[in-house]
Amino acid sequence: MTAPAAAPTPLRQCLELARKDLRAEARAGEALLVTAPFGAVALLLVPLAVGTDTPLLRELGPGLFWVVVLLFGVLVTLRASAVDGPAQLELLRLCGITATTRLFGRALANAALLLGVQVLLAPVAVVLYDPDLSGWPWLLPAMLLVAVGLGVLGALADAVAQGLAERTTLGPLLVAPLAVPLLLGATQVLAAARYDRGPWPWLLLMATAVLVVTLAAALCAAHLEEAR
Amino acid sequence: MTLSGARLPAVAGVAVAAGLAGALLAPPDRLQGELVRLMYVHVPAAWLAFLAFAITLVASIGWLWRRRPGADRVAAASAEVGVFFTGLAIALGSIWGKPTWGVWWTWDPRLVTTALMFFVYLGYLALRRATVDPVSRARRSAVFGVVAFVQVPIVHLSVLWWRTLHQPPTVLQPGDPSIDHSMLAALLGNLVAFTLVFAVLLRERVRLAAAEDALETAEESAAAISPAMRCPRRGWRAPVSEWAWVVLGYSVAYGALGGYLALLVRRRVRVRWRAGQSR
Repeated sequence: MTAPAAAPTPLRQCLELARKDLRAEARAGEALLVTAPFGAVALLLVPLAVGTDTPLLRELGPGLFWVVVLLFGVLVTLRASAVDGPAQLELLRLCGITATTRLFGRALANAALLLGVQVLLAPVAVVLYDPDLSGWPWLLPAMLLVAVGLGVLGALADAVAQGLAERTTLGPLLVAPLAVPLLLGATQVLAAARYDRGPWPWLLLMATAVLVVTLAAALCAAHLEEAR
Repeated sequence: MTLSGARLPAVAGVAVAAGLAGALLAPPDRLQGELVRLMYVHVPAAWLAFLAFAITLVASIGWLWRRRPGADRVAAASAEVGVFFTGLAIALGSIWGKPTWGVWWTWDPRLVTTALMFFVYLGYLALRRATVDPVSRARRSAVFGVVAFVQVPIVHLSVLWWRTLHQPPTVLQPGDPSIDHSMLAALLGNLVAFTLVFAVLLRERVRLAAAEDALETAEESAAAISPAMRCPRRGWRAPVSEWAWVVLGYSVAYGALGGYLALLVRRRVRVRWRAGQSR
């Protein structure tokens, strides 16, 4: 007779849930094949509205890129493939997976997808707006922090609005205003690097925002579980 | 007459009249002249928005802890009144900004973060409206009510974290407040008056929520049976245009306060009437 296998750790559970979400997204292609191209279309449309003044667009480019990442990133976190049906939820509960683990599994998948969206949109923004890219390595930590912060915020808003008919319209209203420290930090990192000012304070602001949102999600997730 | 009846509105009415007298008798500012009188309505409105959202935070935590329906009603009522005072603070700031800065709106960190706070709590109210089941509504909004409060310290500290057009704190700062004491007295008097009005509005909104719950229950029952810095400048005469801005600001402030109170009372009367019809 063999001993029963040890229960997987919460981290392992999160990773498996994130893999499950990414597999569902790979089949649906909603984030990377629909939302990201829609974001690219938005980047293309803005110059038509504000005028095709190249120096002006060069200045506006980085900011517009981050605005598009924020707004379309919210849509990524509220994608249809991230909706768990009642039967899926019951199964996960029966397997002993807590609401907090589920939320962070979803947040992890969101972060991975958001990084993908940023990687797809960044070259489009560079080609269309030709921004000054001095200090570009600082963009890498900024992109990571935006992906993680927005991923956690989106997962939290998704959990709060789960099952509501207004989920996809309410979600952006809940997330967008709270994501402003991320937007602000991300836009200022490149500007600070360009003028030889240390971008550390802005990265610190973003990291603090991510930490606060993650803590709030960890503390509140269990209370949301009973709502279903 | 009890404190829970007409006494509180009566005390609030007297305090508002005294506050208005204090605001009009206070000395004009050396730089802003009569326009400084807008401070006596703008600042209390902004402070009360913070107070309202703090009450929402405490009541939300209270609901998550004890699950009492009363805590949910206080959280929701305080959030709605807070949104009202945030909107009022933005509108009055705008009226003050036009003659002072030359624009109705500017991309100042304090203004932007306040507008964001307004939208965060509009989201809170939208979330409540979207959820039908009362327990689910209370739980979801309690969680969001806790998370949303993160915005409040950001608004308060924005004038210290960034270079802003908006002045830094003059009263809530270490040491003696950087404002003339006669002006400070008028400001505190108006703060007390507005806080009493806030208490009246909050009480009326909580009663409306209770009446709505009663209506919901009555309708459910009915369905079972048969098939909503200054330093004073004495002896100075202001140009008429400054007084026009002051009058506009006070009209907006008191008009909005009175209108909101009347709206809450009207809604409660209608809900009670409908509850009566449902029985």
